[in-house]
Amino acid sequence: MEPVGVAGTESRKELTLNMGPQHPATHGVLRLTLDLDGEVVTGCTPHVGYLHRGIEKLAESRTWHGVMPLTDRLDYIASAGNNIGYCLAVERLFGIEVPDRAKYLRTIVFEMSRISSHLLWLATHALDIGAMTVFLYCFREREWLLDIFETICGARLTVSYPRIGGVLQDMEPAVLESLDAFTRMFPGKILEYETMIDKNRIWLDRTQGVGVISARDALRWGLTGPTLRGSGVMYDLRRDVPYDAYDRVDFDVPLGSNGDVYDRYRCRMEELRQSNRILRQCIAALPQGDILSANTPDLDIPLMGKKELVPEMSLGNASIAFGDVLPVAPKGEIYSAVEAPKGELGLYLMSDGSGNPCRMRVRSPSYVHAGALAKMCEGGFIADVIAVIGSIDIVMGECDR
Amino acid sequence: MRKRIPDLIKKLLFYEILQGLALTFRTMLKPPVTRQYPRERCEPKPGFRGRHAFVRDAVTGREKCVACQKCSIVCPSRCISIRYETDGKGVRHLTKYEIDALRCIFCGYCESICPVCAIVLTEVFEYASYSRQGFVYDRERLLMNWDDFATKLKRPFYFNMFWRPAGSDPRRLSVGKRQQQPIRIQQQAESSKVNVDRNIATTAMDEKTPATEVGK
Repeated sequence: MEPVGVAGTESRKELTLNMGPQHPATHGVLRLTLDLDGEVVTGCTPHVGYLHRGIEKLAESRTWHGVMPLTDRLDYIASAGNNIGYCLAVERLFGIEVPDRAKYLRTIVFEMSRISSHLLWLATHALDIGAMTVFLYCFREREWLLDIFETICGARLTVSYPRIGGVLQDMEPAVLESLDAFTRMFPGKILEYETMIDKNRIWLDRTQGVGVISARDALRWGLTGPTLRGSGVMYDLRRDVPYDAYDRVDFDVPLGSNGDVYDRYRCRMEELRQSNRILRQCIAALPQGDILSANTPDLDIPLMGKKELVPEMSLGNASIAFGDVLPVAPKGEIYSAVEAPKGELGLYLMSDGSGNPCRMRVRSPSYVHAGALAKMCEGGFIADVIAVIGSIDIVMGECDR
Repeated sequence: MRKRIPDLIKKLLFYEILQGLALTFRTMLKPPVTRQYPRERCEPKPGFRGRHAFVRDAVTGREKCVACQKCSIVCPSRCISIRYETDGKGVRHLTKYEIDALRCIFCGYCESICPVCAIVLTEVFEYASYSRQGFVYDRERLLMNWDDFATKLKRPFYFNMFWRPAGSDPRRLSVGKRQQQPIRIQQQAESSKVNVDRNIATTAMDEKTPATEVGK
């Protein structure tokens, strides 16, 4: 046995430190086991599962519609994005064509949820690093968007606004005006945040050259979203695999170059501007028409179809035998992905023809990003771990599902 | 070199930090946006998905539920349980209707599917109880929730947005939803008062229930 704590010995000992699951800067219940050599992180192991609610398993016993409120609870900061991701997967599986107006409305709520998610990210990221004021300013603007969500669907966070084949209800002109006022006000507010931190030397020291991940490594670790684009890889599902109305709006995809915390921060700040631009275009080009597709399954979709009736032909048995169960939904399986604020949110759905999914699998960006934490943190200081966790914008609800 | 000197001065003078401070001071002079919650209440938007209630029918003074069980079928958290009896004519009569509000995830599917606009999620968002049983809303409790909500509502009419969502296809809606008129709140308050006078037991329950006392 090695001697422990003997005064005067110069043995270097590694310290293993548990960070989380209850730590104010780990954004939920993320637990990291850090191996420390002095102040330098030599190893980092993320542990997940503290917020596991079994959403994928639950989905197997809910109807196709009933799963949607569950997806609210994945990335609860941008729940409209999850809803749309799920609805798109089901629509692609069922072959439902969404009306134009619904497509635009969905794009609007998706970008609203992206802005509110990025605002919350900026607020908490800045707070972690020590900029308190930005936190307060971001929540001030986020409130406006949450109020709009409350008006259109009756909830602020768990919106459930999209429906399979469209959206819950049309936006009133007053709502669109309020949103328009927001988009006119918002660029000035982004400038305010940037005034606070963009060139602030404390911010630069804490973020530049910290948590670097190269483009090659980022791809190999499966990073997506702004975390990948911060490393300079052009990959945005809104641009590459357009869904809803993204092929009809004009927007740029911001790219970083160094792959450090600062570049990821810059990417998201630019995304705020681009989202604002998309919102303005969508409001201007909003077409008239239906908001729900005609062949959307009813909300009370039966779990099982009625059984086919087959007349029994044998003598002495005049009853009617039951044949195969008629499907209430098309059979098949599909992987469908959307560009959620955190990265690529993929949903793999399997349908066996009944009223509920046979299997649902969520490819959540936060889970993949949590895996790459080790790569980004190793070799850095322990204080930088906080900055790195903030920069990958992790949400444990989505990570643990 | 010439360009670098202003940069150096900026750096020495903490220019970017001063800029940030100037913004902070400017914001300090603006009116605050924070609401001092217990003293300053914010009104939830119409259609907010809050505490459950049974709409009290102005004619019968009772709930409108026809025990079709659609709400309990669509409910993703399965928090609604219904029992009914069928009389000789085949008409269903509700014998038990319970919502476990602690299980509810407030998705609004029940009010979306209800063919007779009986169940609603009201705009009441602050309610508490000392026991779990206080969140199991039965028929009487759901009607009380409605009275509690209707008497405090400031609008003259109540119309839930889930009854006929804006822009929805009327062919997809039930007859009851298509024919539903906005409910006059003043009337509701009066009828509930009459009802409460008639039913002393209900008022006694109302006083005991601490649900609406929170935050007063």
